[in-house]
Amino acid sequence: MFDSKLSRRDFLKTSASAAATLAATQVGPFAGAAHAARDKELNILCWEGYNSAQVLDPFRSSKSATVKAESLTNDPTMINRLRAGEINVWDLINVNNPWARKIMLPEKLIKPLDRAKFEPYFAKMMPQFKPPYKWAMDDSGKDLLGMAQRFGPYSFVVNTDKISRKTAEDQGWDLFNDPKLAGRFGILESDDWNVFGICCIAGFDPYQPHTPEQVAKFEETAKRILKNKKVVGDIATMNQAMISGEIDCHLTGGTYSASPARADGHLNLRGVTPNKGPLAGGKGGIAWIEITSVVNNPHGSPLAEQFLEYVQAPEVAHTVAFAEGTFNPVAQMGNPECFKLFTKDQLEAIQWDSLEEEMARSVEYDIVPDYDKLLDIWNAAKKS
Amino acid sequence: MIEKTSVLAQPGRRAALPIMVLLALGFVAPLLAVVGFSFMPARTFGLWHEPTLENYETIFSDNTYVSLFWSLGLASATVVLLALICYPVAYGLVRVFGRWSTVLTLLFTIPLVVSENIRLYGWVLFFIKGGVLPGTLRTLFGVEMGDFLFTPAAVLFGMVYVYLPFMLFPMTLGIAMVPNQMREAARDLGATRWQVFREVELPLSTPGLMIGSLLTFVLAVGAIAEAKVLGGQRIIPITHDIEIAFTYAQNWPLGAALAVLLMLVVSVLVLIVLRRFDLDQILGKR
Amino acid sequence: MTGTSEPILRLKNVRKAFGNLAAVDDINLSIGEGEFFTIVGPSGSGKTTLIRMLAGMERPTSGDILLRDKRINDTPANERPTCMVFQSLALFPHRTVGQNIEFALKIRNVDPATRAKRARELMQQLHLPADYYSKNVTLCSGGERQRVALARALAFDPQILFFDEPLSAIDYKLRKTLEKELKDIHRETGKTFVYITHSLEEAMVMSDRIGVMRRGKLIQVGSPNEIYSTPRSRFVSEFMGDVNVIPVESNGAGSVRSQTLGASFKVPPAAIESKAQCLVVRPEFLRFLNSPSDAQNSLKGVLYNEYALGSRIQYQVRVGEKVFLVEKLRQQPFKGKLDDEVLIGWDPENSILVADE
Repeated sequence: MFDSKLSRRDFLKTSASAAATLAATQVGPFAGAAHAARDKELNILCWEGYNSAQVLDPFRSSKSATVKAESLTNDPTMINRLRAGEINVWDLINVNNPWARKIMLPEKLIKPLDRAKFEPYFAKMMPQFKPPYKWAMDDSGKDLLGMAQRFGPYSFVVNTDKISRKTAEDQGWDLFNDPKLAGRFGILESDDWNVFGICCIAGFDPYQPHTPEQVAKFEETAKRILKNKKVVGDIATMNQAMISGEIDCHLTGGTYSASPARADGHLNLRGVTPNKGPLAGGKGGIAWIEITSVVNNPHGSPLAEQFLEYVQAPEVAHTVAFAEGTFNPVAQMGNPECFKLFTKDQLEAIQWDSLEEEMARSVEYDIVPDYDKLLDIWNAAKKS
Repeated sequence: MIEKTSVLAQPGRRAALPIMVLLALGFVAPLLAVVGFSFMPARTFGLWHEPTLENYETIFSDNTYVSLFWSLGLASATVVLLALICYPVAYGLVRVFGRWSTVLTLLFTIPLVVSENIRLYGWVLFFIKGGVLPGTLRTLFGVEMGDFLFTPAAVLFGMVYVYLPFMLFPMTLGIAMVPNQMREAARDLGATRWQVFREVELPLSTPGLMIGSLLTFVLAVGAIAEAKVLGGQRIIPITHDIEIAFTYAQNWPLGAALAVLLMLVVSVLVLIVLRRFDLDQILGKR
Repeated sequence: MTGTSEPILRLKNVRKAFGNLAAVDDINLSIGEGEFFTIVGPSGSGKTTLIRMLAGMERPTSGDILLRDKRINDTPANERPTCMVFQSLALFPHRTVGQNIEFALKIRNVDPATRAKRARELMQQLHLPADYYSKNVTLCSGGERQRVALARALAFDPQILFFDEPLSAIDYKLRKTLEKELKDIHRETGKTFVYITHSLEEAMVMSDRIGVMRRGKLIQVGSPNEIYSTPRSRFVSEFMGDVNVIPVESNGAGSVRSQTLGASFKVPPAAIESKAQCLVVRPEFLRFLNSPSDAQNSLKGVLYNEYALGSRIQYQVRVGEKVFLVEKLRQQPFKGKLDDEVLIGWDPENSILVADE
């Protein structure tokens, strides 16, 4: 492919200019903005919901600001985009709990918040978020790294007409090891969460370093589960397949994925947290909490912190909980002013009745030490 | 003409300069970046590392061939099925349906304005358990429909459906290009309707068939939504592999290497076909 | 030639209507075995529709087409022992010269060796080089393609060959050569040729008989000489080429009178018919006179212009508003100068009286 006379130096020079071109292409829409005053604009990298007009429009008009939000459904992708140079682009990043303190702060991708200003908000949240909240703090417990809002248990979803909630909770992840379920379940495509799920089905904790035996077991389980599945797809596909009866349950899911169907009246679709399992302390479920942090952007917008305050207001927090896409509990429901905004149907959609016990049975989302290896195995298994 | 000053001396070249720059920036540069990335170490995000062949080694040592096989196989099957389905339809549009051709052409074209994904989700609702087709069959005839959705057959169905216009219209053009007198002459020389078709119309409309096949093949090799939506990811085509590498796996270099591999395979196949069937010769333009 | 051979093709009251329009209207005709019959007419006269019915590509709305007394109205083209050479020639571009010529034989399952032998014979007969056998037909020149098309039509030995203006797109010199070649082939093969063209000149060169068509009707059928010397209408006479036409009315025995010219002309007594409304005089029968007594009919005019026509020279003479054409051989040109007053005249026996239609 390359002329052998081409020196490595030449090659690097060429590559560098190509990289520059690529970078220029990628940040194109924002390229001119880098040096301009940025007090009237805000760029948010987030999970879907924060990019909705319901959430952003009131903020836009009150600040007469240009707010751009891009939604992704994948934490590592967002973080890698900051790593690849988009730290100059974004002002806020909204990802799951461990990334801020374990990855982004050490890599200087985000910067701490004014603790005096923001910590009081935690006091008004639900009890488990009482300050100092672990996932919002750095390792030393000194710096506040972000704000909590949406959260939820996320293990798997069943159609209670086919599999009772009790059976599902009792059997836990072993449900998927049952040969009788072959061809009757789906897998909600979700990178890291699929890896967690397969670890749990294989019977070990995803968040601990894994022995070669466990890795082998993971591969066997991944292949078996993929062979037995009926369908892999997105949330809409899963809910559609559950409602129509194509499948009885699906791996990777919870209030986040089932809530749109539940809000639509399909209360037989229910996120289930197993009573027990291979996770720390014998727990059976995994829960996620989003932490929104200020990006360490050299030209950061002053609107970033204002936005974080804006979404703490009861009305806005309620809007965030029921923004377009998926519906989720928010930490601000600890504030009666906020809680009273939720209707009975909305509480049913987000499984409020069992939220507390499900959270209690769940460990919190964490980083898998050998994630890349397990993900490669999982992706390869998809093909075979 | 006397002095050769520079390549830009000719007005034509000067006029073409803006579009050449645009093409270079918009088309060549990203392509070069992809090629460049394919030689970077796995899971890196810059082009300034020391080049390596490890991504290509990974591709050839793991089971990527499975997805490549699915992509090429499904694309080939799509082309064959489309050729069989579209030829009669195209023939009808040109020779049989008369005034209704316009209406039919419109019916084939209108769906193109709706996003492919939305149309595919429509088919999901059509085939899903209790959906339009199985529901109707059960209610009216008491027949239970076997599994179709989330099978490779459903993927093939989706691809045939999505790429149908891309085969149909070149084919229609190809058939329309066969002069009427050519068919009359063959008939006058004693050929039956079937012989006219086999000896004259079919060979003379091959350019349309070839262009349609190449177009659909290249598009179908790049198909991804059909396998995701209708196939429920029962199978993973190479394009999905590339997407996984670029997104979930966050392994841009591997994704780039897969993309380069796919480009090479498709280019080679297309070149072989083009060499085998000289379009100019078929069209008699030489 | 008409009476000498049995009719091979007979048309009885053949009519073809497209909607309300009769493209071919009540045609009765009989074409003899081995005859070279040409149908001539301007575009839109219905000649193409007529020949397409004869070849089996259109079906008559009414009337009968008989081939050797057998009605063939409903016989499709591929089952008729006839073949057509198209205006576009319709050679198959994906086939070689040989394959084109052999097409009809291949369709009839003739074995390849016999096919090739026949093709090579025809190529020789039609002056096509032998090495053209495997040449792509699209690489042949215009004249070569004409020959390939003719060879292809002759290959299966049809009883009648139809020609739909095959020479109309060919340049003059080559057309002249091919016209003669075609007539030679007609003679060699002895087949019945039915040819259509809009050029009467072409028809004159090749045909045994000519039928002139106008607005879907055959208005005159006859030998080239008959058509030339005794046209039955102003249309036919004008179709033959440049003629001088003077609207006249009968003026008693052996004489007609033109209102516009204010003059009377002598005509042969037998020529006067009741519906005769036009006096036709061919340019070659007009001559320049020294005195009015040099001819029985004479007119005084002004020499306006002259045109060289190869072997002849044509002079335009204006008599008042009326334009006359006079032709002389190139070797004996008229000595007058432009704008000179001249006398022109002709003899009564060279007058043709026709209907004004």
